[in-house]
Amino acid sequence: MDCTIKVTGLTKQFFPSRGIYTALLHPLEKPRPILAIDDITFEVKKGEFIYLVGPNGAGKTTLIKIMSVAVLPTSGRAMVNGYDVVKDESRVKASIGLISGDERSFYWRLTMRQNLDFFAALYNLSAVQARIKIEELANFLDITSYLDRRFQECSTGIKQRLAIARALLNNPSVLFMDEPTKSLDPLTARNLRDFIKDRLVREQKKTVVFVTHNLSEVEDFADRIVIMYQGRIKACGTIPDLRQTINSPQASLEELYGKIINSNSDAVA
Amino acid sequence: MPLRKVFAFIKKEFLVKSSYWLAFIFSWLGILVSVATFYFISKLLNPENIISVKEYGIGYFPYVLIGIAFAGYFSTAMHAFSGKIRHEQVTGTLEAMLVTPTRLSTIIISLSLWDFIFTSINAFIYLFFGAVFFKVSFMQMNIPAALVILILTIVSLSSIGIISASFIMVFKKGDPISWLMTMSSGFFSGVFFPVDILPLGLRVFSYFFPLTYALRGLRHAILQGYAIRMLMPDIAALAVFCIILVPLSMKLFGYAVKRAKISGSLTYY
Repeated sequence: MDCTIKVTGLTKQFFPSRGIYTALLHPLEKPRPILAIDDITFEVKKGEFIYLVGPNGAGKTTLIKIMSVAVLPTSGRAMVNGYDVVKDESRVKASIGLISGDERSFYWRLTMRQNLDFFAALYNLSAVQARIKIEELANFLDITSYLDRRFQECSTGIKQRLAIARALLNNPSVLFMDEPTKSLDPLTARNLRDFIKDRLVREQKKTVVFVTHNLSEVEDFADRIVIMYQGRIKACGTIPDLRQTINSPQASLEELYGKIINSNSDAVA
Repeated sequence: MPLRKVFAFIKKEFLVKSSYWLAFIFSWLGILVSVATFYFISKLLNPENIISVKEYGIGYFPYVLIGIAFAGYFSTAMHAFSGKIRHEQVTGTLEAMLVTPTRLSTIIISLSLWDFIFTSINAFIYLFFGAVFFKVSFMQMNIPAALVILILTIVSLSSIGIISASFIMVFKKGDPISWLMTMSSGFFSGVFFPVDILPLGLRVFSYFFPLTYALRGLRHAILQGYAIRMLMPDIAALAVFCIILVPLSMKLFGYAVKRAKISGSLTYY
């Protein structure tokens, strides 16, 4: 099977900015770097639905941001659809979609259609292509009746569907989803995950990297899970495989997660 | 720069701004009040006492009318680029734009275009109120000469604005360029009074502000109908600013974006 995402020895260090008070008090002291991503290597195959899980501060969002070219890595390499995220920035951008759980990333006083039309232009769609694509996506996501409502007048679930519609405007083969269900009620979140798995992954063969720290949503949906902790990949594999590696075939996800996070070895399975 | 993207930004800004239609009306009422205020102040002044105003062959009111009408470009150039970047960071829309295959330079320039269009509308309204309510004559206006000066003014001032935005990109707040220029331009550039009445020691500073040449050229072109060849000293001075500032601003902005990507702070505020 083709490899859509290939990450090799990826490391990201951040140097925390110092306030002027600290800088004046300790002018020669260099800020200690924060290791957000620590020598990560993994691959995602075409059409896979993988979950990136881990506690807050594990490095999940940083990894997503590197793969969606918003942050430059310190060392190592990340390839998306065969393009290097550092050297082929525009090609990577043209082939991915990013969905976050952040409602703020739209223009609240514009209608859903106006928002999509604006982003369609940024994805190089002509006015005619944009109009057709917006109608098509609205049908696909069942938001046609909301298209002419202002964004601020829509429910959180509809807003999240709009975020998916935006990410699909350029028909990307890879979708990065950074906690898209975090502000949704359980039923709407479940419907959204069903939609992603059935329509986007199974039907449209898209590769989805789904970030969450909510384990309850993982089991029914993930082809594989990647567990991150303190910037490293602690485990990567299918849930049955991971259960095998900790010798607990009946372990609940919480137990599995706890054992892997607390183990001293990396990259189980 | 792709025109479809540029128009999408202008349309989006217009739709957002026009959704606050009352603000439009108040801003234009504010212009009328401002014009009237300067008209009555001018009644107190004897232009015979201001040798430099006499040089223009006009009274103080037409002199200051051009100053306040076109000083808006300075304010826009200083604040539009950095202000827009910060606004889009705060609202979370910058990240959504950055994931699209659109260059950051296209985003920052296009985001600010609406402000320049609105400033142009305001400048026209200043002149319109001056002509209709206070009988200022623009019969001699040399439109091509005024346009040449205006274009060079916008380019040179925008470059300073982009340098200012570079600081915002890295430091988020408190850029020294905007502070320095905003604090001193009204005083040194001849917005309210001719720079010739400043003592020599202070007048020297006025030569380092593009707005000085811009306002002098615009007054000559609009009020006295100077042709392009008669405005060559001011055109040359503005062209020198453009030649120095345009590449410098692009270089600094590119550097700022790279630094923000390394520090991972591109979308933070």
